[in-house]
Amino acid sequence: MYIRATGNISPQKTFGHQPLQEAVAYTGNRLSCIEPDYKAFIDPKQIRRMSRIIRMGVAAAMECLQEAELKQPDAIVTGTAYGCLEDTHSFISKMVEFNEELLTPTAFIQSTHNTIGAQIGLLLQCNNYNNAFVHRGFSFESALLDGMMLLKDNDAANVLVGAIDEITNTSHTILSRLGLYKQGDTSNLNLYSSIPTGIGTKGTIAGEGASFFLLTNQPSGSDYAKLDGLHTFYKPDGIPEIEKQITGFLESQDISINDIDLIITGKNGDAGGDLAYDQLAQSIFADKESIHYKWLCGEYPTASAFALWLAATIIKSGELPPALRGSGSLDKKIGRILIYNHYLGIHHAVSLLSAC
Amino acid sequence: MDKLISDLKTQIIAQLNLQDTKPEDIGDDQPLFVEGLGLDSIDALELIVLLQQNYKIKLSNAEDGPKVFKTVKTMAEYITAYQAQNS
Repeated sequence: MYIRATGNISPQKTFGHQPLQEAVAYTGNRLSCIEPDYKAFIDPKQIRRMSRIIRMGVAAAMECLQEAELKQPDAIVTGTAYGCLEDTHSFISKMVEFNEELLTPTAFIQSTHNTIGAQIGLLLQCNNYNNAFVHRGFSFESALLDGMMLLKDNDAANVLVGAIDEITNTSHTILSRLGLYKQGDTSNLNLYSSIPTGIGTKGTIAGEGASFFLLTNQPSGSDYAKLDGLHTFYKPDGIPEIEKQITGFLESQDISINDIDLIITGKNGDAGGDLAYDQLAQSIFADKESIHYKWLCGEYPTASAFALWLAATIIKSGELPPALRGSGSLDKKIGRILIYNHYLGIHHAVSLLSAC
Repeated sequence: MDKLISDLKTQIIAQLNLQDTKPEDIGDDQPLFVEGLGLDSIDALELIVLLQQNYKIKLSNAEDGPKVFKTVKTMAEYITAYQAQNS
């Protein structure tokens, strides 16, 4: 299947199909999305009811459909782990404040995890298949898998697949207390360096994003890339099993690691979580060109959607974007990319893209 | 009454997140729903919450809704009457 179009709102300047010229630097442990002027994409009357994550998701989806020049997709599939946190926080706070006697209707209605897919459907007046997946670190992969199966079974000729997650003040505070993020001075630009943060320290940086893709079962001649396969595995029992799962996936695609031009990993600067990436770099990924992406978008359960967007744009252009050129020395056209990501060491996923 | 009408306009804009609308854009007798301000049924629920939250008024009879929420002025009149009755 093919990635015909994309739409991406992230902490980098990714909206509007811009190549990543220069990475946006952040100080602190939280990366926030750079948001566009929504009025160009969403009716102002409808914007007023939408919280930030809904606007981001809807705008990214609209940008994707505009690029594909498609008015109605055959299916809309979204993945989110946290859902609409701001709305959830809003109505729960009001309930507490008013002794459970008051419920703010809009925030309550918009707080469900399928809100963004529903809003896209409403805006498009699209009554086709519409589904939302909420599986923590597999949320995006589940949505992607559903989209791929719809195409494979010819239940749809094109599917709009996307992932959305936001970080709010409340969720950032709670997740910080749980030890997910680095403490003290830190920056996304030195996420992987040793001093004073990076390797050897606990935690990562918080991120968020909205990434959408239009997948089709027929090539258009101007697609970003071919999505060859996706494989997920849960709580692997050590590095040997991760290696086995990845090599098994490659074998199922009738290729070996030697056929991969570039590996994109989900390394996020957390000493514990990065062990897997570092050990693979010494074993099955040894001598392969690899880049990391979470210094650009931060860590969140559906961050792998940003990786898919990055991989698709790299394959379309055949080269690394300027912001990433320092991290690789590729001298040939990039035609095949393997993405390996894990979320908290629990949810592991590999996907394979190739040039059309 | 004028002060109450002015407060209500500000509260409605905040509660319904009416971006780009200023209190002076809302006429005292301008219909709030459909052809006027263009509010809908979800907004009606928000207005019920607004009354309860800011004026401790529980609209017990749903049939009163269209009458009470016709305009900002009718809302103000209802609040004033309620407060006079319960003071």
